[in-house]
Amino acid sequence: MEKDFTRRTFIKGMAVGTMAGYLGAAGLSSTVFKNQLLPQEKLNQVDIGEIKALKIKVVSETSWYDNNVFLNDVKGAGGLLVNQYTIPWTCAGVAAGYQGSNLGGFSTYIEATLMDGKVMKIHFDTGWNPAWMEKRFREEGVAEKLAKKEIDFMVLSHEHIDHFFGLEATLKFYPDIPLYVPKGFYQEGFDFLKGKSFPAANAINNIPHRGKMTVLDSSKVNILYPGIALMTFDVPIILRVFGEQAFVFNVKDKGLVLVTGCCHQGIISYMEEVRKKVKGGEKIYAIEGGLHISPFEDWDPQYDDLIMAFNKYGVQKIGCNHCTGFITAEKMHKAGLPVIKGTARNMTKRDIYLGNGDELAIA
Amino acid sequence: MSHQVLDTLFLEERKFTHIIKQPVVRGVVNVLLAFAFFMALWWVFMDPRGWLRWYTPQYGYMYIRWLLIVAIWQVYIFNFWPFKIEWLEKTHPLQKGLIMIGINFAITGILVWVFYYWIFGKLAIPYFSWPELKKTGLSDFFSREYSSLAILMMAAIASWLSPIWPSAFENYPWHRLQQPAKGFTVLAVTFLFTTYAYFIFMHPHYRVLFYPWQEYTAAFPWWYESFRTLSGNFNVGWIMCATVSVWLTETILEHYPFRLVEKQPWRGLAGFAFILLLAWILFFTFTFMQDMVWGVSVEGAKRLMAPDWRYLHNGELAVILLTVALALYFYFDNWPRKFSTEVNLLVRVAIVIVGAWGLHWLYYKFSPGLLGTQAGYSHPQQFPMAPVILFINVMLYHGWFMDCWPGRRIRKES
Ligand SMILES: [Fe+2]
Ligand SMILES: [Fe+2]
Repeated sequence: MEKDFTRRTFIKGMAVGTMAGYLGAAGLSSTVFKNQLLPQEKLNQVDIGEIKALKIKVVSETSWYDNNVFLNDVKGAGGLLVNQYTIPWTCAGVAAGYQGSNLGGFSTYIEATLMDGKVMKIHFDTGWNPAWMEKRFREEGVAEKLAKKEIDFMVLSHEHIDHFFGLEATLKFYPDIPLYVPKGFYQEGFDFLKGKSFPAANAINNIPHRGKMTVLDSSKVNILYPGIALMTFDVPIILRVFGEQAFVFNVKDKGLVLVTGCCHQGIISYMEEVRKKVKGGEKIYAIEGGLHISPFEDWDPQYDDLIMAFNKYGVQKIGCNHCTGFITAEKMHKAGLPVIKGTARNMTKRDIYLGNGDELAIA
Repeated sequence: MSHQVLDTLFLEERKFTHIIKQPVVRGVVNVLLAFAFFMALWWVFMDPRGWLRWYTPQYGYMYIRWLLIVAIWQVYIFNFWPFKIEWLEKTHPLQKGLIMIGINFAITGILVWVFYYWIFGKLAIPYFSWPELKKTGLSDFFSREYSSLAILMMAAIASWLSPIWPSAFENYPWHRLQQPAKGFTVLAVTFLFTTYAYFIFMHPHYRVLFYPWQEYTAAFPWWYESFRTLSGNFNVGWIMCATVSVWLTETILEHYPFRLVEKQPWRGLAGFAFILLLAWILFFTFTFMQDMVWGVSVEGAKRLMAPDWRYLHNGELAVILLTVALALYFYFDNWPRKFSTEVNLLVRVAIVIVGAWGLHWLYYKFSPGLLGTQAGYSHPQQFPMAPVILFINVMLYHGWFMDCWPGRRIRKES
């Protein structure tokens, strides 16, 4: 308890108050004048080389068929932070699904022509429902190329259900396929690769992966071949997943092309990282793949921030799909962004973006 | 307070018998007990590996926020009414804790389910009600998440505005009223301000949350031009800094320096202004620190680089700071108290800054294992404020309802 109010305490109070005011002013000025005060951004661009041409085929971008069924699975399990290996994903009795299963999957087939004419064939992600994935792999000729070991390697973008649980559909044709995974896989993921199943989550794999596996981390731009690179991001992701990687291709006379799985790191964050780390990154020519904006047709004002800022980057072709979401695609069209339309075939519901079986060629 | 204090709370009149004599041991034992109780609550209600798993995340987070504001009402606004002082003095802390925590949970449940879901959401604004939003065709899951965010934001604003009246204004001009008239009056007034503040700071967020934009019912987020985001997280961030400031002045800062203002309502107004100033100091300092560590945020970016996440993280950092301050206040007798006020305050501020640094490190290092959350700073569906505020709730239950028993107990003065 304080004694009576005196002049001295008042002066001291004023002194403390002034100090607080000073600190406040410092905070404010440091924010307003941060361009002067903050260390200058250093660009550390790597030359990844060039390729002649790039062909990207959407094998499957439909990860699940009924949003409400998917979200009820999530809700029933306890929300967006629950471990994906423990959730009983619905794979029967869904009218909109494939043979009653709600599960589809994400997979992209890429052909990159090197400067010497050699064509690198890349299997990007392996989807979710093995039955659906096998059907799509056969329909798009991927199964045949896998069986003949014509495909050079497989890249897993991240550990998510819809990009990874369909593993058996790939290993069935090519069990020793060389594989790149991003740093951040959990032990369950490595076990699954070795042939362990997670029946509680309807994740079955009876074929162990026997090929070479390389884990890539975020310490540098990982150049696989001249003009073909992967960048890894240390991001925590919903359903207890960590880390995602995505492609950077450098197509001669066109520029950089980013090919993503889900892009949980955020497409603008991704473009910013490319700008800082890859030669030619100031200008992205094209983007293809999932942009993880409104995968459940959900919304957040932050996503409008993204769409409103997107135009500034001057991307010329946007071949988005999958977890980009239909709402996002509609808003992007409205904002004048060059989103490429698809053909709405093979279970892709709308032609608003590139769907199953659609192709984007850059040369 | 120096002079002419208009109104004091029962909290400030309590005298204690120290059951555990050694102060550091007492503090540490109490912290560990509070932590154990927190972990039990987290496991039962929140943990994504636990029992009820309400941390979906917004749904459980909403309850945590409301438990906090209801506790503030119980103790600061109603001054423990309807319980009598004699009852509070003679009843065993464990029994008091059970009863008052029970009431705390019950009022929270009634507010969410009856007031928001069945009345306000049904008859006024659907986004305040999980069932009403669902009826519009939204998914069950996001109906619950969106409505939870709206409801929890009411609580966030209330946790800044409600305690200001008893704390800075000493309930002026209603200080002479008896309970419960005083409680209901102050509750009504502060909740009126909270409601206005909600519609200014958070309702515009809901204009752009739904598709298409709800331009006839809510203003465009007026902060967009200056703060480069449409998200209400900008307001969440600074309002959390303001909430933290209220409680810093109430605890380690002992209402200093605005208590030197002689008369109400001027003391209250000075307090309000000081709290706002302190909030903005925290907010800009944290923004600047993040700019230093991660570089300036980028419009439209996600995660670490997103302007709206940075603002939210300002609030998260502020709440971590407050946790340390409250632990010092409740469990270590607001040490030190032996020097002049200014020195006491400065030493406490230094302790809290260092402690917050430590807690920050501990939180991000151990939360994945302990809380079942994900490693990393910026997660789109993870809000460190939820567990941290739940721990604060536990400290408040412990300190307010249970007199920090078994470290100490109330001593009867009659
Ligand atoms: Fe995906
Ligand atoms: Fe994903």
